[in-house]
Amino acid sequence: MQQGEGTEAQVTWEDQQNINKFGRLNNRFHELEEEIKLAKEANESLEDAGNELILSDEDVVRFQVGEIFTHMPKDEVESRLETMKEEADKKLERLEEEKESILAQMTELKKILYGKFKDAINLEED
Amino acid sequence: MAAASTTATAAGEERRGIPAASFVEDVQTYLTQSGLDVNASLSLLQERLQQYKIVEMKLLAQQRDLQAKIPDIEKCLDIVATLQSKKGSGEPLITDYEVSEGIYSRARIEEADSVCLWLGANVMLEYSCDEANALLKKNLENAKASLEVLVTDLQFLRDQETITQVTIARVYNWDVHQRRMKEAMKDT
Repeated sequence: MQQGEGTEAQVTWEDQQNINKFGRLNNRFHELEEEIKLAKEANESLEDAGNELILSDEDVVRFQVGEIFTHMPKDEVESRLETMKEEADKKLERLEEEKESILAQMTELKKILYGKFKDAINLEED
Repeated sequence: MAAASTTATAAGEERRGIPAASFVEDVQTYLTQSGLDVNASLSLLQERLQQYKIVEMKLLAQQRDLQAKIPDIEKCLDIVATLQSKKGSGEPLITDYEVSEGIYSRARIEEADSVCLWLGANVMLEYSCDEANALLKKNLENAKASLEVLVTDLQFLRDQETITQVTIARVYNWDVHQRRMKEAMKDT
């Protein structure tokens, strides 16, 4: 606990709502970081798969659908992979955008809350 | 959770069984109204926080389950779609599948008119590809809708936790402030 002067600003309902909102944004931020990490890994796997495909000279490729590996002609696999890569890229872009927006909102809230409470409040990661 | 604090502004009603934490406008008034001393009040608030945490654990577990279920349903839809796309071509679908861990075998699936879906509780039913698609899509929508509701529940719950934590800090600080003032009065 802070060794404050004891004459801290009173916490109004509006302040409480700002604090709540900051908490929600922070939680979502951490979730997003996880999701972005997974999305990047998925992208890399798709890249690797694409490269392997180019290197291989087989006509029939075993392509995983769910839990099984179906035999598919190489071109079909290529086009499927392309579609998957596009979707994965779009998804990653969406996640990054959401992350930027959340960071901006958090910075705003920090300004407001630190402005009122100064060092009676701590909004940093431990 | 009976402590009535009339100085609290409406923090919203409970949500699906989760009681809302009442917001305290003024600590002094809150303590007088509830008739509790500082320590009793802090214990009560801590206890409420613990109860919220328990519910949070439960909701998080449900969220994890749903988040695992959704990709599974999507995979099933993928397979049904693959089977359907092969139907017109006249060629069988050749696939390698896992018989046991690390052991695979090859299967040849001729014209697939129907699939069997595992419904749970040791029940598996045969459906036509179209029916299977419809059922799986419905399950997927339901799962996604449930997940949304769950996420909103969690947000509400975490808000109540934050309110309770802030109240605990304010009661504690108020107490510290009171003690300091008493000390200051003694010294003069």
